[in-house]
Amino acid sequence: MKETKNYFIQSRPQLIYGRCIYWLSIVAAMICAIGPVIAVEFPSRNIMDPHYLFYSIWEGKTAEAVWQEVGGGFPGGHFWLHNLTGGDGFIQFGLVLGCSCACIALIGTAIAFLREKPRATGWALVSLWVASLIALAALGIYHV
Amino acid sequence: MKVRAKKIELVRSPWLELAVMFVVVILSYIALLLISRGAAIPPGGMALTSITWLLFGFFLLSFAIAIIAVLAGIGGGVIFTPIMLAFTPVDSLIIRATGLIVAMFSGLVSTGPFMKSGLGNLKLSIYSCCGYGIGGFIGAQCALWVAGRMGATGEGLIRIVLGGIVLAIAIYFLWGGVKREWPEVKKVDHFTQRLGLPQPYYEQSLGKVIDYRITRAGWGLLAMCGVGLISGFFGLGAGWAIVPVMNLIMDVPLKVAAASSGILIGMGDCITVWPYLLAGAIIPLFVAPWLVGQVMGGIIGAHVLIRVRAKSIRYILIGIMIFSSFGLVTKGLVSLGYISSVPGAVQVAVLLIIMAVVALAITGKLPQFRGGRRDL
Repeated sequence: MKETKNYFIQSRPQLIYGRCIYWLSIVAAMICAIGPVIAVEFPSRNIMDPHYLFYSIWEGKTAEAVWQEVGGGFPGGHFWLHNLTGGDGFIQFGLVLGCSCACIALIGTAIAFLREKPRATGWALVSLWVASLIALAALGIYHV
Repeated sequence: MKVRAKKIELVRSPWLELAVMFVVVILSYIALLLISRGAAIPPGGMALTSITWLLFGFFLLSFAIAIIAVLAGIGGGVIFTPIMLAFTPVDSLIIRATGLIVAMFSGLVSTGPFMKSGLGNLKLSIYSCCGYGIGGFIGAQCALWVAGRMGATGEGLIRIVLGGIVLAIAIYFLWGGVKREWPEVKKVDHFTQRLGLPQPYYEQSLGKVIDYRITRAGWGLLAMCGVGLISGFFGLGAGWAIVPVMNLIMDVPLKVAAASSGILIGMGDCITVWPYLLAGAIIPLFVAPWLVGQVMGGIIGAHVLIRVRAKSIRYILIGIMIFSSFGLVTKGLVSLGYISSVPGAVQVAVLLIIMAVVALAITGKLPQFRGGRRDL
């Protein structure tokens, strides 16, 4: 960490983590801003027809019932892999990107910790541990 | 020369990405309106124009929540989840899952600036995430379990307990609680010493580098598990609990704790949110405008409005929380069958009383409360 006139230049892992998170969350937000346009322009490509979705949500139906009634059942959290051209698939991709951004950033952070002098191996391992928790959660390995 | 410098400033971060986002959002809503004009409505379905206005309304609400949250120094989830649970008929699991997304993006957006300024401590956040993330993951799984097995009883109980929590947070905000801006650490335990968590930063208000110490990291980790559990179960951002844990247990300076809590929420909720996402509790088209509003409102709030933090916002927020708490408890009691639905007149009367008290507080006619923590 270097000190300049009146400001600290932060350590590389800290800066890398901050930048990765910031930009990935902005990209995720942009995807989620464009997604509804695709959903409305091409309703047939969606898993859930937007014409019926909001009525169903506003009637207080459970998530399971909403998916069942409007989309014929929940296709799984990673349905975006097969439905990227559909509006809801595209939005889900944005959500997945946003919800995984800490994992991506922590991998970058771990590399930065390893490249630091002196090498911060312990912190690199802790970063990878948290990244792996996110990855395991995303894969749905432990699930009720 | 000055004009040129100003122009260069405007094409740099965060103004550039903010401008791009604004353009994308405006074009998206114009496109939505154009597409929906004259579009056929399927039988029993909602008109596309109504859907567009609904999405735009969600976006504006989320944007407003993000700005109020920044002004009041809290996360967006604490405002979103109680209000939606108290005053809309939407299923509680869908709201809590969406609330977690709101809380998470509220934290993620603040991460970059806090990391750059050094106010946020990366090592402290990663370390705390080991407890918070696991607690949050278990909390989310419990929420799904309760939703799947307890039905309407579970819905009622969740609303009543959350109502109690929100009221407690509101009282805590009102009185400020115990806070130690610069805790004095006399002894650092061996475990914490070995972790090497502290990270000096330049404190602009003091014009010097602050090199602080941290202690009791073990107890802090344990407490983070509990905080994560509540956050994951109720879909709240937990800055109101993380900051006291860091400040009072681990002796982290208040400002560093407040900044690191945002980073931790963003990081930890990336674990917590997945059980909801994989169970289908996050409905893409419903969540999208809330997410976009949080990101845009968060950036604007962090860079523009942070300088105009108003004390009155804190009182308004406390008023909102107390009214949400009332709504949550009564709705919970109705769900459990203990009372019949609350008449509209009673709700309006309670709202008016709360508004009157808030107005008195803003105008300084209420007895002064001690401090009030704005950095939660």
